[in-house]
Amino acid sequence: MEGETLVRVRNLRTYLYANGRCNKAVNDVSFDVRAGRTLCVVGESGCGKSVTAASIMQLLPPLARIESGEIAYRSAEGELRLDRLPRNGRAMRSLRGRDLGMIFQDPMTALNPVYSIGFQIRESLRYHTRLGAPARRAKAIELLADMGIPLPAQRSGEYPHQLSGGMRQRAMIAMAMACEPKVLIADEPTTALDVTVQAQVFDLMERLKRERGTAIMLITHDMGVVAELADEVVVMYMGNVVESGTVREVLKSPAHPYTRALLGSIPLLGRGRSQRLEPIRGSTPDPFDRPPGCQFAPRCPRQEPACDAGLPPEVEVSAAHRVRCLFAKEGRDGR
Amino acid sequence: MIAYTLRRFLALAPMMLLMTFLVFLGLELTPGDAVSFIAGPEAMANMDGSQLAALRESLGLDDPFLARYFRWLGGVLRGDFGYSLTSGVPIARIVAERLPATLELSAAALLVSTLLGSALGLASALNRGKALDQALTVAGMIGVSVPEFFFGLVSILVFSIELKWLPVGGRTRPEYLGLWDRLPHLVLPALVLGVSMTAGVMRYARASMLDALGKDFMRTARSKGLPEARVDLVHGFRAALAPIAVLIGFRLPMLIGGSVVIEQIFQWPGVGSEFLAAVRGQNYPLVMTIALLSVLAVLAASFLVDLATAALDPRVKLS
Repeated sequence: MEGETLVRVRNLRTYLYANGRCNKAVNDVSFDVRAGRTLCVVGESGCGKSVTAASIMQLLPPLARIESGEIAYRSAEGELRLDRLPRNGRAMRSLRGRDLGMIFQDPMTALNPVYSIGFQIRESLRYHTRLGAPARRAKAIELLADMGIPLPAQRSGEYPHQLSGGMRQRAMIAMAMACEPKVLIADEPTTALDVTVQAQVFDLMERLKRERGTAIMLITHDMGVVAELADEVVVMYMGNVVESGTVREVLKSPAHPYTRALLGSIPLLGRGRSQRLEPIRGSTPDPFDRPPGCQFAPRCPRQEPACDAGLPPEVEVSAAHRVRCLFAKEGRDGR
Repeated sequence: MIAYTLRRFLALAPMMLLMTFLVFLGLELTPGDAVSFIAGPEAMANMDGSQLAALRESLGLDDPFLARYFRWLGGVLRGDFGYSLTSGVPIARIVAERLPATLELSAAALLVSTLLGSALGLASALNRGKALDQALTVAGMIGVSVPEFFFGLVSILVFSIELKWLPVGGRTRPEYLGLWDRLPHLVLPALVLGVSMTAGVMRYARASMLDALGKDFMRTARSKGLPEARVDLVHGFRAALAPIAVLIGFRLPMLIGGSVVIEQIFQWPGVGSEFLAAVRGQNYPLVMTIALLSVLAVLAASFLVDLATAALDPRVKLS
């Protein structure tokens, strides 16, 4: 059903461990992924957006752990707590590919170079459907055709290196969509592609959302993509959700200084070369030596001593708009 | 493909010419000649110059270096590999007698080391940092550093003399000739040679597998919900296979040379011991023929490696 919450993430904390140190990569993150909607998770590199996606899929690196919080998936058989399932157990495996599809950043490295596109698509069908070999073959070709790949029967037998970047990503999407998952998680699916191809891939994702009611969680660092595709936005910074809400609310009246700074640093087409871009001052802090309170405080123009007292609570600015800032309610118009 | 094979085949000729010439030159530059070996130091001292000269002439050693090289080369092109300078037996017969034994031993050892090395390397990589991996690393280190002769002698002592499970050496009992009768003789030398070659394959397979395990496509495979065993074997190991095949391919020439040490210890009637004697005795027709076979094996192996790489990795084109 359209708008129904399929994946509910609440107070998720995922920590990465390396060299005896702990990086609180995802620290108290909550959001919903809804059927027929696109949720964009935005933030710069290292903000924890990919770790959040990997937590949902339980595809975390070995030295990462979901510490607390919940990830609930509404499956056909009822609600499932994904965070409680064993990582590579039967239950989790049967959800991956069948209910939860994932697209990765670089299709060149994410596809296995020694197997044909068709083989890699048929693999999911083999484990999640009862189709026989000839039916799988036909279905793989049909999927490629659906994704707008010309000569699908021929392409199906080709290897990833024989395809262009855009074709590869379409093949990747065909693979993720093979069993018609209810949720599609796309981790920066167009970062490795050029702009025209990017538009084609997004068109395809929009179509899947519209025609099949797929819930899409799109991870990106590009505010332009957010404006284009998102229904809802989650802005992340250093492992926290700093602002979330409907795309209209967040982009029109950004309440967190970081969101405002992000929007202020993007050049707008049509404003000419005289427009002033405001880079965000400073740089992201060392994840192993974090600021005591608000993670953005050291770079924030609005910073006060109170910001360092502790992580600010989430404030509801309006029914569809939450912000983690002490000054969220004031100065929403000024910069 | 056909054009490629043809081109590789044509490239063979100049390579062979160059390699055989260098080996011939090497023999020429070694002090002494076959006569000094055949006659022995005492006889040499008692023979006068004309007798030695006559002996040299009868063996054709009095001709200039280039003349001898081309005479040998001409013979080879006509299919005549010459005669052993020490025994007068045709080289072709010596090789026909000895080569099968060496091929049998080396092929068995290669098979053992390939299967064992790949399996252990795979197990090691999948258990990285755990007890099994560490144990195999130590075992590999020991395997590389213990000399084969020591390993061979210890295993003869244990399995042949103490336990009496297997024969001490030799290739067959004279009254039996079937493969089944030969097998007990083959087991020990093949295992000793195979196991001593395993360490290298294992370490290489481990590194190659670890490399594959870290690749992005492994995560993609998991994201499709495939079972771990399929992810590791069908995606990981298959991708790790090409480099392992290269290593094994380049060991193929060993099929010809064999292992001199192992053949000696197990009194295996192969090419290795014969080759050693021929080099010592400056028996150049025999040395040259075995060298020729080795060069051919090296070139054939590199061709096979190319074919295998192209078959295992669709990104590689034969050109």
